[in-house]
Amino acid sequence: MARQQGWIAFILALAIASGALLATYGLQLGLDLRGGSQLTLQVMPAGAITKVETEQLEAVKDVLERRINGLGVAESTLQTVGSDQLVLQLPGEQNPGRAAKVLGSTALLEFKAQRPGTEKEMQGLLRLKRQAEAVLAAKRPQPTTTDSGLPAPPPKPKLAPEDLAMSLRSLGLTVPEGSSESDQIELLLAEVNHRIVGLYGPTLLTGKDLTSAGRQQKATGNFWDVTLGFNREGGEKFATLTQSIAGTGRLLGIVLDGRSISEASVGEEFKAAGIAGGAASITGNFTADEARDLEVQLRGGSLPLPVKIVEVRTIGPSLGAENIRTSLLAALSGLALVGVFMVVVYRLPGVVSVLALSLYALFNLAVYSLIPVTLTLPGIAGFILSVGMAVDANVLIFERVKEELRSGNTLIRSIDTGFARAFSSIFDGHITGLISCAALFFLGTGLVKGFAVTLAIGLLLSLFTALTCTRSLLRLLMSYPALRRPTYFVPAAQLPASAL
Amino acid sequence: MLSSPAPVPESSAAAIPVRYMRISRHRRLAWIASAIGCGLSVLGLVLCWLNPAIASPLKPGLDFTGGTQIQVERLCQSACGELSVSDLQKRLNSLSLPAIPGEITPNLSGTSVQVLDGGRSLVLRLPALSADQSTALIEGLTPVTGPLKSTGTSVNTIGPTLGSRLLRGSIISLLVSFAAIAVYISFMYNGVFAFLALLCLAHDVLITCGVFAWLGLLRGIEVDSLFAVSLITVAGYSVTDTVVIYDRIREQRKLLADLPLIDQVDVAVDATLTRSIYTSLTTLLPLMGLLFFGGSSLFWFAVALIVGIAVGSWSSIGLAPTLLPVLSRR
Repeated sequence: MARQQGWIAFILALAIASGALLATYGLQLGLDLRGGSQLTLQVMPAGAITKVETEQLEAVKDVLERRINGLGVAESTLQTVGSDQLVLQLPGEQNPGRAAKVLGSTALLEFKAQRPGTEKEMQGLLRLKRQAEAVLAAKRPQPTTTDSGLPAPPPKPKLAPEDLAMSLRSLGLTVPEGSSESDQIELLLAEVNHRIVGLYGPTLLTGKDLTSAGRQQKATGNFWDVTLGFNREGGEKFATLTQSIAGTGRLLGIVLDGRSISEASVGEEFKAAGIAGGAASITGNFTADEARDLEVQLRGGSLPLPVKIVEVRTIGPSLGAENIRTSLLAALSGLALVGVFMVVVYRLPGVVSVLALSLYALFNLAVYSLIPVTLTLPGIAGFILSVGMAVDANVLIFERVKEELRSGNTLIRSIDTGFARAFSSIFDGHITGLISCAALFFLGTGLVKGFAVTLAIGLLLSLFTALTCTRSLLRLLMSYPALRRPTYFVPAAQLPASAL
Repeated sequence: MLSSPAPVPESSAAAIPVRYMRISRHRRLAWIASAIGCGLSVLGLVLCWLNPAIASPLKPGLDFTGGTQIQVERLCQSACGELSVSDLQKRLNSLSLPAIPGEITPNLSGTSVQVLDGGRSLVLRLPALSADQSTALIEGLTPVTGPLKSTGTSVNTIGPTLGSRLLRGSIISLLVSFAAIAVYISFMYNGVFAFLALLCLAHDVLITCGVFAWLGLLRGIEVDSLFAVSLITVAGYSVTDTVVIYDRIREQRKLLADLPLIDQVDVAVDATLTRSIYTSLTTLLPLMGLLFFGGSSLFWFAVALIVGIAVGSWSSIGLAPTLLPVLSRR
């Protein structure tokens, strides 16, 4: 009796602790339940690296983490998955486009000098580039584009279709059928930038030597510059580089991920010592957002390996909320029916099992908030299956108790034998379940893992509740003589005459 | 094959119920039913594979094929105006999406458009789009659909390699867990028990897949990653359900040691029959709740689980115990 009371006190304490845990920490809901965006990034092997190793994956993760922090999205998580993937979760973010753009690029910044003897070709390309950029800028929905900084801005820049077609042809480009004018201009611009990069010499300075990046609005217009600060070595390299081309008419090229983002001329006055002081700025006519994104990328450093975005999932909060509301309602209504069923079929022990199963559900949720387990739809599936198994354990026990009563045993003896005999089948069933969970957890991917975790927690707790909670509660009730009647367990008709 | 049960010796009469269901008397019927179920499932899977529009045993959803799926909810309080799929198609064809340098802008003419909930929401299936392109596409739809609910939009883009990775991971983990369970059962019982548990498991998974192959053929239902999760759940349930009956058979083999195995099995199945039925019922109840109240996103998941668990209960009563005496004799 004293042992029973000890157990009951222990169970009560656990229940209170679980309630407190849940109230303080709450439950973490997965993106499929609360809404948000999830991006999966695949790290691609490049150059001499044919297989992505753990250190490289971690290095990529570090860079991406710095970029994400720069973006300022609250509560984002970045996790490595498998050997070469990263999963970024942005709760509440409905438009992952910008994050995708900032994260997906390598951000390899290179400074190069124009090769001698290419001035003429460069001029032609630059003219085409300015023209194309102006047309695109005009197409962009921007209320005020007062480009007073440009020498002679046409009121509405236009590229005549035949000129565009000719330019494209001259660059050896074939236009995909049915593409729009802006598509064609983008295509043209990409090729022009590619050709400009071809006119540069080797890379003399990279983003590795950067110590800081910032942005500042131009004195005139709505455009922004991105400012750079170099370390000492970088500052020296930059000075040498600018000195070599100062006053020659050749250009300094700033190349980001193989795309020319800025071409600058270096004045005669820097012929002596180059541009010293370790600072520079990229004048690329950036919009505010573009400047900010570039700054974030440069500050985060370049990625050691390129990444590719292989999956983007976005779920609106109302879809998520609807999911969880309906799933909860479904699970609860089903469980209520299970409770009714247990009470009708098993009478007094049925009532006990309803109480034990309620505790079971509470313990489960408390463990979810303690670990913490992020609840997703597959996780809820695992929970429902584990509830099924917990109920099964109770059914097994009570069926055994009934059998013992029918064969004429006394009530207390029947209960004890019932628990003892049901144990081996409950144990075997739970162990096989746990074996599958272990395999699914260690070998499965995201969704399957979530399922395995909740199922494993459920199975362990169900072993505990079936063997302690149900048992202690039943024993406690049996200490009241008024409740010690076999007919509270089995219909009288099924009992042998001696037991009545 | 059908052997009449041995006469019950006096000595163990007390342990055997006077009247009980002898599953072995109906075993031929049970085997035929399971064989028909498996046959129809294989037929469904093969037909699916031969169907040029599907060309795989189950109709693969976005999770396995890759691409972009956009779901939007229209903002119309009382009644939504009629939406014609052909208007939407026309609108899609006229859209021009922001280009990605160096990549060909996807062609939207092959988009599948599905109108749900009486025109309230739309599901579009497209080739893989970038995040920018999906946003542009959703904005481009509004002239046809009217204003959209900003919180009701879901965009999923999945690279084609991701699905195969998920599939491979699930299959490997399942096979390893089967092997581990087989080792455990052979250790606790014997090899025949383990073989039959796995046979039942294969039977349950096959029939669940078969049902979805037919659903894919007849109703165009696709399988997604949640379906993979439901198969794993069914496998776990099937083994647990079978093991509980094995436990009873093991007990009866000690209690009724002087009877042939076939009688021991019959007594064990009869004794656990109530439990088997109650347990399936109590597991099915929350799933039924999910089916009726769970909303559209979980409907087919619930269907897969209900089919699998019903078949799993059947196989652990009608298949594993009836095959046990047959295989053990050899």
